[in-house]
Parts: sequence; structure tokens; C-alpha cells
Amino acid sequence: MRQLPTTATSLVLGGFALSAVLAGCSAAPESAGLEGPYTDGTYTETASYQSPNGTETIDVTVSLESDVITDVEVVGHGESADSKLHQGFFIDGIAAVVVGQDIDEISVSKVSGSSLTSGGFNKAIEAIKADAS
Amino acid sequence: MRFEAIGTAWEIESDRPIESSTQSAIHHRIEEFDRAYSRFREDSLVSRIATTPGTAEFPPDAAELFELYRRLYDATGGAVSPLVGRSLETLGYDRAYSLRPTGPAMPAPSWDDSFAWDGSSLTTIRPVTVDVGAAGKGYLVDIIGRMLVAAGHEGFVIDASGDILRHGPDSIRVGLEHPWDATKAIGVANLGSGAICASAPNRRTWGEGLHHIIDATTGLPTSRVIATWAIADSALQADGLATALFFTEPHALRREFDFSYVRMFADQTVEFSPLLDGEMFV
Repeated sequence: MRQLPTTATSLVLGGFALSAVLAGCSAAPESAGLEGPYTDGTYTETASYQSPNGTETIDVTVSLESDVITDVEVVGHGESADSKLHQGFFIDGIAAVVVGQDIDEISVSKVSGSSLTSGGFNKAIEAIKADAS
Repeated sequence: MRFEAIGTAWEIESDRPIESSTQSAIHHRIEEFDRAYSRFREDSLVSRIATTPGTAEFPPDAAELFELYRRLYDATGGAVSPLVGRSLETLGYDRAYSLRPTGPAMPAPSWDDSFAWDGSSLTTIRPVTVDVGAAGKGYLVDIIGRMLVAAGHEGFVIDASGDILRHGPDSIRVGLEHPWDATKAIGVANLGSGAICASAPNRRTWGEGLHHIIDATTGLPTSRVIATWAIADSALQADGLATALFFTEPHALRREFDFSYVRMFADQTVEFSPLLDGEMFV
């Protein structure tokens, strides 16, 4: 068994530097180059991290099916209001809101999005806009 | 090479200059594809099938396209289907680009009721309108990739306007375009040798809730998912899966296909596979 890649782990869990190790894996953590396949199942581990309030613990349960995280559950044991707030960021799971970055500023060679339209379609759209105005 | 074909803009780059014989072979092959599959020309095979039942002989590599479609059709419960042409036309996405719905949403007919595919020819007993927009471009990109390899090119990128096939060492960074703002990206995927394909309704929307990504079982455009990306070994798979991700949960598709993905929802949240090689701007 291997740990989740650091990037995915930190993205999933809100940017905190946890090293959540899937249950059953006794090997030392590997670098963030992931190789699947993972055995389907549910894995729980308790992780500790340092916060300004001291050591905090959370229980992380991850469900994997065909190498996709299908569920993440985090139970925080924070005591202070700050801890509860930060642990709340974990508990919302893997659906995270994206914030667009300017393409000019992120150094990419290519952009992948819906295909540009051409000719006939563009003319038709212009005609519709003209009708509507 | 930069050119327009099958309704969009293409860019092909290689480590070595692309010979003019290879360039003309590519243009020729694209024309052959268009002549078979374009709903937008009267002389195409699919236009003929749409009016005249019978047996139509497709180009030899159609087998791979129809086989992938059958797998997607089964994996998505019929939501992705090559028989979705009539549904698109009903919404207005017809040969003349009238872009006006002509009636209530029309579900696509079922595969087994519509045609028999024997590996090289299609037999229909009633007119059916085939549309291969869900995976056809990816298929064509792969074909061109094979042509470049056969001509000795080892490092190249084929970009069919956001559907990208790369061959070569290392990797490139590919920005994932925000479906609501083309000046922005929601993340970056690293692409080594393989394909990334994107799908989103934004550029082909012609009215409130009227766009080209439709569920073949209902004939209705989707609304919950607003953009998808799939990364796979072939552009055919990546293209088809990017479409399928609008309708079917990733873990269900992962039982059948090997790929990574990103999906964005109307509330601007994003979901992505843990095996994704890249970063998301969350």
C-alpha cells in the first residue's frame, strides 16, 4: 500500500501538511508520484498535526473504488474555536471551489477547453443575436 | 501546421518539420473523415443514412470508433450514443445551423433497434441520424498521430482546439480553461505521451439551456456538470470519456476505462481523480 500523493492529499484536505497513511501500509511514506492500482476499500487513519494551539488530531476515512476517492470523511477532535474552524475545511470532502488563474500567468504550453467554433456556426449565432436585439 | 477542419481550428507541431507529403496526406485523411461522418454536408455517408436505410460501407477504421461508442453506450446507460443526431437537430443543431428548436426534446432511438454494425458496414432498416461528435474528433486526432509516427515523427503535439494528443518524452503543462472565462484556467494538467480532451457547452450554446452536450436517453442538454477533462492513452478514449463524464459518475466509468479526469459543476466546485498529474486552483 502507498500513501496518496502529497498534492492530492493536501488539496483534498485543505492544504495542511498531513501525512495520512492508508491503514495497513507499514512502509515509509513515498514521494508524490503515485502508481495505483489500489485495492478497493475503506481506509481509516488518525493523523496528528501541529497547529498554533498545539498538537491536534483528526480521523480520516477514505473510500476508494477503482482508484477513485468516492468518499472522504474527517472527524476532527479540535478543542478550540480555531481548531474547529480549520478542521471544518477538511470535513467538506473533496469537492472544492476553484478560483480561475490568468492563463498568462501560469506558464502553460497549451490550453484545453471546448473547441473553437468556425464558419457556419459563428454566422448562425451572430444572426440569432441580431434577431434578439 | 495550422488550419481549420471539421468545424474548428487545428494546430500540429512536431520536433521535425512536417513534410509536404505528410501534410497533404493529413488533409486528405481529414476530408475522408468529413465525407463519412459530417452531419453538415449533404454528400456524407451519415447524411445518406439519415434519409435512406440500407447498408453503408464505412472507412476501415470505423470499427474502432463504433466499438468505443458501444462501450460508452453501455457504460453510460445509453446517455452517450452515436444515434443522437436527430435529438441535436430537434434542438436546432441541424445542417443549416438553424439553432431553433423544432419541437420537444427527442430521445435517441436504442442502438439495437437502429442498426447492425458488422465491423465494416452499418445496416439500417429505417433512417437514423448518426452524430459522432462525442468521440469523433479524438478518433481523427489519433489517426493523424499514427500517420505522424509512420512518417518518423517522434515528438509532436496535435491540438484540435483543446483536444490534444502528445507523443514524446517529458511532459508539457496544459491549462484547463475556465468554462465561463476563457482568459482563465482552473488548473493545469501535465501531459506526457497521451491525450487530454475537454468538453464544455460554453462555445456551442445558442439559447437558455440550449447547447450541444445532450443526454441521448432524454434528448436534453445537461446542466449540472459545466466542464470536463479526461486524460487517457488515446484521444478517442479521452474525447469519449470527457463526454461521458457529463452523465456518469467517474468511478463507474473507471470500471471500464483507464483514465484521469476533472469535472466542474455549476456551483464552481471541481472534482478530480487522485491520480491526476497536475494541480487544481482550489
